[in-house]
Amino acid sequence: MSDREQYTPGPANIARVQKDRGQNGEEKWALVLVRELRHSPEKVWEALTDPAHLREWAPFDADGSLGTVGATVKLTTVAAPRVNVSETRVTRAEAPKLLEYNWGEHDMRWELEAHGGGTRLTLWTNIGQRFIAMGAAGWQICFDVLDHLLSGNPIGRIVGPEAMKFAWQRLNAEYAKQFGIETPNWPPQKS
Amino acid sequence: MKIKVTSVYVDDQEKALRFYTEVLGFAKKADFSQGPFRWLTVASPEEPDGTELQLALNNNPAAKTYQQAIFQQSQPAANFFTDDIKGDYERIKARGAEFTMPPTDVTGSTIAMLNDTCGNLIQLTQLKRWS
Repeated sequence: MSDREQYTPGPANIARVQKDRGQNGEEKWALVLVRELRHSPEKVWEALTDPAHLREWAPFDADGSLGTVGATVKLTTVAAPRVNVSETRVTRAEAPKLLEYNWGEHDMRWELEAHGGGTRLTLWTNIGQRFIAMGAAGWQICFDVLDHLLSGNPIGRIVGPEAMKFAWQRLNAEYAKQFGIETPNWPPQKS
Repeated sequence: MKIKVTSVYVDDQEKALRFYTEVLGFAKKADFSQGPFRWLTVASPEEPDGTELQLALNNNPAAKTYQQAIFQQSQPAANFFTDDIKGDYERIKARGAEFTMPPTDVTGSTIAMLNDTCGNLIQLTQLKRWS
Protein backbone atom coordinates (compact mmCIF):
# COMPACT_ATOMS: atom_id res chain seq x y z
CA MET A 1 0.00 0.00 0.00
CA SER A 2 1.20 3.48 -0.79
CA ASP A 3 1.64 6.09 1.92
CA ARG A 4 -1.41 7.86 0.51
CA GLU A 5 -3.57 4.76 0.87
CA GLN A 6 -2.33 4.27 4.42
CA TYR A 7 -3.00 7.84 5.43
CA THR A 8 -5.87 8.47 7.80
CA PRO A 9 -6.43 11.68 9.75
CA GLY A 10 -6.17 11.67 13.52
CA PRO A 11 -8.85 12.96 15.88
CA ALA A 12 -10.29 16.43 15.36
CA ASN A 13 -7.99 18.26 17.76
CA ILE A 14 -6.20 21.13 16.05
CA ALA A 15 -8.96 23.70 15.60
CA ARG A 16 -10.93 26.08 17.76
CA VAL A 17 -13.49 28.80 17.23
CA GLN A 18 -12.80 32.44 18.01
CA LYS A 19 -15.97 34.44 18.57
CA ASP A 20 -16.05 38.18 18.13
CA ARG A 21 -18.72 40.81 17.82
CA GLY A 22 -19.31 42.58 14.53
CA GLN A 23 -20.22 46.24 14.08
CA ASN A 24 -23.89 45.58 14.69
CA GLY A 25 -23.25 43.37 17.68
CA GLU A 26 -23.69 40.18 15.68
CA GLU A 27 -21.54 37.21 16.56
CA LYS A 28 -18.70 36.59 14.12
CA TRP A 29 -16.91 33.29 14.08
CA ALA A 30 -13.37 32.72 12.97
CA LEU A 31 -11.51 29.45 12.71
CA VAL A 32 -8.11 29.05 14.35
CA LEU A 33 -5.98 26.02 13.52
CA VAL A 34 -2.64 25.31 15.16
CA ARG A 35 -0.32 22.69 13.79
CA GLU A 36 3.21 21.86 14.87
CA LEU A 37 5.55 20.88 12.07
CA ARG A 38 9.04 19.42 12.37
CA HIS A 39 10.46 21.83 9.84
CA SER A 40 11.97 25.29 9.96
CA PRO A 41 9.81 28.38 9.50
CA GLU A 42 11.76 29.12 6.29
CA LYS A 43 10.77 25.78 4.83
CA VAL A 44 7.15 26.15 5.91
CA TRP A 45 7.07 29.69 4.49
CA GLU A 46 8.13 28.41 1.10
CA ALA A 47 5.35 25.81 1.15
CA LEU A 48 2.79 28.52 2.02
CA THR A 49 3.82 30.94 -0.71
CA ASP A 50 5.34 29.10 -3.67
CA PRO A 51 2.84 27.93 -6.33
CA ALA A 52 4.70 24.68 -6.99
CA HIS A 53 4.54 23.79 -3.28
CA LEU A 54 0.94 24.92 -2.87
CA ARG A 55 -0.07 22.61 -5.70
CA GLU A 56 1.06 19.67 -3.57
CA TRP A 57 -1.09 20.35 -0.54
CA ALA A 58 -3.33 23.46 -0.61
CA PRO A 59 -7.02 23.56 -1.58
CA PHE A 60 -6.25 26.15 -4.26
CA ASP A 61 -3.79 26.76 -7.03
CA ALA A 62 -1.99 30.11 -7.12
CA ASP A 63 -0.77 31.63 -10.37
CA GLY A 64 2.05 33.51 -8.66
CA SER A 65 3.95 33.73 -5.39
CA LEU A 66 2.00 34.74 -2.28
CA GLY A 67 5.22 35.88 -0.65
CA THR A 68 5.27 39.53 -1.76
CA VAL A 69 3.21 42.34 -0.26
CA GLY A 70 0.95 43.97 -2.83
CA ALA A 71 1.10 41.03 -5.21
CA THR A 72 -2.15 40.19 -6.97
CA VAL A 73 -2.56 36.46 -7.38
CA LYS A 74 -5.37 34.39 -8.82
CA LEU A 75 -6.45 31.53 -6.59
CA THR A 76 -8.31 28.70 -8.26
CA THR A 77 -10.29 26.44 -5.94
CA VAL A 78 -9.34 22.88 -6.72
CA ALA A 79 -12.08 20.34 -7.41
CA ALA A 80 -15.00 22.73 -7.06
CA PRO A 81 -17.88 21.53 -9.25
CA ARG A 82 -17.54 24.68 -11.30
CA VAL A 83 -14.37 26.65 -12.06
CA ASN A 84 -13.94 29.08 -9.21
CA VAL A 85 -11.25 31.70 -9.49
CA SER A 86 -10.81 34.56 -7.08
CA GLU A 87 -8.25 37.30 -7.14
CA THR A 88 -6.35 37.90 -3.95
CA ARG A 89 -4.05 40.61 -2.78
CA VAL A 90 -1.24 39.89 -0.37
CA THR A 91 -1.57 42.47 2.40
CA ARG A 92 1.26 41.29 4.69
CA ALA A 93 4.25 39.11 3.94
CA GLU A 94 6.90 39.13 6.64
CA ALA A 95 9.00 36.08 5.84
CA PRO A 96 9.13 33.70 7.61
CA LYS A 97 6.67 34.88 10.23
CA LEU A 98 3.45 36.40 9.03
CA LEU A 99 1.40 36.14 5.85
CA GLU A 100 -1.97 37.73 5.11
CA TYR A 101 -4.20 37.63 2.07
CA ASN A 102 -7.85 36.97 1.29
CA TRP A 103 -9.45 33.90 -0.26
CA GLY A 104 -12.71 35.11 -1.68
CA GLU A 105 -14.55 36.88 1.15
CA HIS A 106 -12.39 35.29 3.81
CA ASP A 107 -9.24 36.76 5.31
CA MET A 108 -6.40 34.35 5.83
CA ARG A 109 -3.69 35.04 8.39
CA TRP A 110 -0.78 32.64 8.74
CA GLU A 111 1.62 32.88 11.68
CA LEU A 112 4.83 30.89 11.86
CA GLU A 113 6.72 30.60 15.15
CA ALA A 114 9.98 28.75 15.65
CA HIS A 115 9.15 26.09 18.21
CA GLY A 116 11.14 23.10 19.48
CA GLY A 117 13.35 22.93 16.40
CA GLY A 118 10.34 23.13 14.11
CA THR A 119 7.47 25.50 13.47
CA ARG A 120 4.21 26.18 15.18
CA LEU A 121 1.90 27.13 12.32
CA THR A 122 -1.31 29.02 13.08
CA LEU A 123 -3.99 29.73 10.51
CA TRP A 124 -6.68 32.25 11.40
CA THR A 125 -9.54 32.66 8.94
CA ASN A 126 -12.94 34.33 9.31
CA ILE A 127 -14.82 31.56 7.58
CA GLY A 128 -18.04 32.18 9.54
CA GLN A 129 -20.26 29.84 11.48
CA ARG A 130 -22.02 27.94 8.71
CA PHE A 131 -19.03 26.20 7.19
CA ILE A 132 -16.58 26.33 10.07
CA ALA A 133 -16.56 22.58 10.79
CA MET A 134 -16.15 21.76 7.10
CA GLY A 135 -13.24 24.19 6.89
CA ALA A 136 -11.58 22.79 10.00
CA ALA A 137 -11.87 19.24 8.65
CA GLY A 138 -10.47 20.20 5.26
CA TRP A 139 -7.55 22.20 6.63
CA GLN A 140 -6.60 19.45 9.09
CA ILE A 141 -6.21 17.00 6.20
CA CYS A 142 -4.32 19.60 4.14
CA PHE A 143 -1.89 20.15 7.04
CA ASP A 144 -1.21 16.40 7.27
CA VAL A 145 -0.46 16.38 3.54
CA LEU A 146 1.77 19.44 4.03
CA ASP A 147 3.68 17.63 6.78
CA HIS A 148 4.30 14.67 4.46
CA LEU A 149 5.44 17.03 1.71
CA LEU A 150 7.90 18.85 3.97
CA SER A 151 9.26 15.51 5.18
CA GLY A 152 10.17 14.62 1.61
CA ASN A 153 7.41 12.04 1.43
CA PRO A 154 4.63 13.72 -0.55
CA ILE A 155 1.35 11.82 -0.70
CA GLY A 156 -0.43 14.18 -3.07
CA ARG A 157 -3.07 16.79 -2.48
CA ILE A 158 -6.28 15.61 -0.76
CA VAL A 159 -9.03 18.16 -1.34
CA GLY A 160 -12.62 18.30 -2.56
CA PRO A 161 -14.22 14.91 -3.20
CA GLU A 162 -10.87 13.19 -2.60
CA ALA A 163 -11.04 14.24 1.05
CA MET A 164 -14.25 12.22 1.44
CA LYS A 165 -12.22 9.06 0.93
CA PHE A 166 -10.06 10.06 3.88
CA ALA A 167 -12.51 10.45 6.75
CA TRP A 168 -13.31 14.09 6.10
CA GLN A 169 -16.92 13.40 7.12
CA ARG A 170 -15.80 12.05 10.50
CA LEU A 171 -13.66 15.14 11.15
CA ASN A 172 -16.48 17.39 10.02
CA ALA A 173 -18.91 15.71 12.43
CA GLU A 174 -16.38 15.78 15.30
CA TYR A 175 -15.68 19.47 14.82
CA ALA A 176 -19.37 20.29 14.45
CA LYS A 177 -19.97 18.63 17.82
CA GLN A 178 -17.03 20.42 19.47
CA PHE A 179 -18.13 23.78 18.11
CA GLY A 180 -21.74 23.18 19.08
CA ILE A 181 -23.18 23.51 15.60
CA GLU A 182 -25.54 21.32 13.71
CA THR A 183 -23.78 18.65 11.68
CA PRO A 184 -24.41 19.70 8.11
CA ASN A 185 -26.47 17.17 6.20
CA TRP A 186 -24.07 17.18 3.34
CA PRO A 187 -23.04 15.07 1.60
CA PRO A 188 -26.25 13.10 1.98
CA GLN A 189 -25.82 9.87 3.91
CA LYS A 190 -26.41 6.64 2.07
CA SER A 191 -29.72 5.26 3.24
CA MET B 1 -28.83 9.89 -17.62
CA LYS B 2 -31.11 12.26 -15.71
CA ILE B 3 -31.62 15.99 -15.43
CA LYS B 4 -31.00 16.34 -11.72
CA VAL B 5 -29.93 19.94 -11.25
CA THR B 6 -30.27 23.21 -13.07
CA SER B 7 -28.91 26.63 -12.08
CA VAL B 8 -29.80 30.24 -11.77
CA TYR B 9 -27.17 32.88 -11.19
CA VAL B 10 -27.81 35.08 -8.18
CA ASP B 11 -25.96 38.16 -7.01
CA ASP B 12 -26.16 37.17 -3.32
CA GLN B 13 -26.55 33.55 -2.25
CA GLU B 14 -27.78 34.28 1.28
CA LYS B 15 -30.44 36.65 0.02
CA ALA B 16 -31.36 34.18 -2.71
CA LEU B 17 -31.73 31.36 -0.20
CA ARG B 18 -34.16 33.47 1.82
CA PHE B 19 -36.18 34.40 -1.25
CA TYR B 20 -36.35 30.91 -2.74
CA THR B 21 -37.31 29.32 0.58
CA GLU B 22 -39.29 31.93 2.54
CA VAL B 23 -41.02 33.64 -0.38
CA LEU B 24 -41.26 30.98 -3.08
CA GLY B 25 -41.57 28.08 -0.64
CA PHE B 26 -38.79 25.75 -1.78
CA ALA B 27 -36.66 23.85 0.72
CA LYS B 28 -32.89 23.98 1.11
CA LYS B 29 -31.33 20.79 -0.18
CA ALA B 30 -27.52 21.02 -0.36
CA ASP B 31 -25.31 23.63 1.22
CA PHE B 32 -21.61 23.03 0.99
CA SER B 33 -18.59 25.24 0.80
CA GLN B 34 -15.04 24.83 -0.39
CA GLY B 35 -13.14 28.02 0.17
CA PRO B 36 -15.02 30.83 -1.55
CA PHE B 37 -17.09 28.35 -3.56
CA ARG B 38 -20.55 27.58 -2.17
CA TRP B 39 -22.71 24.83 -3.64
CA LEU B 40 -26.25 25.73 -2.66
CA THR B 41 -29.39 24.07 -3.98
CA VAL B 42 -33.10 24.06 -3.22
CA ALA B 43 -35.81 21.57 -4.13
CA SER B 44 -39.58 21.60 -4.17
CA PRO B 45 -41.22 20.22 -1.01
CA GLU B 46 -43.66 18.52 -3.38
CA GLU B 47 -40.74 16.62 -4.85
CA PRO B 48 -37.89 16.57 -2.28
CA ASP B 49 -35.78 14.15 -4.30
CA GLY B 50 -36.67 15.76 -7.60
CA THR B 51 -34.70 18.20 -9.70
CA GLU B 52 -32.61 20.64 -7.68
CA LEU B 53 -32.14 24.29 -8.46
CA GLN B 54 -28.63 25.54 -7.82
CA LEU B 55 -28.36 29.12 -6.59
CA ALA B 56 -25.00 29.94 -8.13
CA LEU B 57 -23.12 33.05 -7.13
CA ASN B 58 -22.76 35.26 -10.16
CA ASN B 59 -19.18 36.42 -9.95
CA ASN B 60 -18.61 35.91 -13.65
CA PRO B 61 -18.69 39.15 -15.70
CA ALA B 62 -19.84 37.32 -18.85
CA ALA B 63 -22.72 35.72 -16.99
CA LYS B 64 -23.62 39.08 -15.44
CA THR B 65 -23.87 40.71 -18.84
CA TYR B 66 -26.10 37.91 -20.08
CA GLN B 67 -28.23 37.96 -16.92
CA GLN B 68 -28.83 41.71 -17.15
CA ALA B 69 -29.61 41.55 -20.86
CA ILE B 70 -32.27 38.87 -20.58
CA PHE B 71 -33.72 40.60 -17.51
CA GLN B 72 -34.11 43.80 -19.52
CA GLN B 73 -35.77 41.84 -22.31
CA SER B 74 -38.26 40.47 -19.73
CA GLN B 75 -37.00 36.94 -20.36
CA PRO B 76 -37.18 34.52 -17.44
CA ALA B 77 -34.05 32.86 -16.11
CA ALA B 78 -36.08 29.90 -14.85
CA ASN B 79 -39.55 28.52 -15.21
CA PHE B 80 -41.42 26.61 -12.50
CA PHE B 81 -44.54 24.61 -13.11
CA THR B 82 -47.53 24.66 -10.81
CA ASP B 83 -51.00 23.14 -10.66
CA ASP B 84 -52.43 26.26 -9.04
CA ILE B 85 -51.00 29.42 -10.48
CA LYS B 86 -53.66 31.69 -8.95
CA GLY B 87 -53.05 30.26 -5.50
CA ASP B 88 -49.28 30.50 -5.84
CA TYR B 89 -49.55 34.04 -7.17
CA GLU B 90 -51.59 35.15 -4.13
CA ARG B 91 -49.37 33.30 -1.68
CA ILE B 92 -46.09 34.57 -3.12
CA LYS B 93 -47.41 38.11 -3.53
CA ALA B 94 -48.57 38.14 0.07
CA ARG B 95 -45.00 37.38 1.11
CA GLY B 96 -43.81 40.52 -0.61
CA ALA B 97 -42.66 39.40 -4.04
CA GLU B 98 -43.01 41.78 -6.95
CA PHE B 99 -44.81 40.31 -9.96
CA THR B 100 -43.96 41.91 -13.28
CA MET B 101 -46.84 39.96 -14.85
CA PRO B 102 -49.91 38.65 -13.03
CA PRO B 103 -51.35 35.28 -14.12
CA THR B 104 -52.03 35.73 -17.82
CA ASP B 105 -53.62 33.35 -20.29
CA VAL B 106 -51.41 32.47 -23.24
CA THR B 107 -51.57 29.65 -25.75
CA GLY B 108 -51.77 26.38 -23.89
CA SER B 109 -50.98 27.76 -20.46
CA THR B 110 -51.32 30.48 -17.88
CA ILE B 111 -48.11 32.23 -16.96
CA ALA B 112 -46.94 34.80 -14.44
CA MET B 113 -43.59 36.50 -13.95
CA LEU B 114 -41.91 37.69 -10.79
CA ASN B 115 -38.67 39.34 -9.77
CA ASP B 116 -36.47 37.12 -7.58
CA THR B 117 -34.61 40.24 -6.26
CA CYS B 118 -31.30 38.55 -7.12
CA GLY B 119 -31.07 39.58 -10.75
CA ASN B 120 -33.65 37.32 -12.38
CA LEU B 121 -37.18 37.08 -13.60
CA ILE B 122 -38.88 33.81 -12.76
CA GLN B 123 -41.80 32.48 -14.73
CA LEU B 124 -44.58 30.40 -13.20
CA THR B 125 -46.51 28.22 -15.60
CA GLN B 126 -49.72 26.28 -15.30
CA LEU B 127 -50.45 24.12 -18.31
CA LYS B 128 -54.02 24.05 -19.54
CA ARG B 129 -55.67 20.69 -19.29
CA TRP B 130 -57.73 19.58 -22.22
CA SER B 131 -60.59 17.27 -21.50
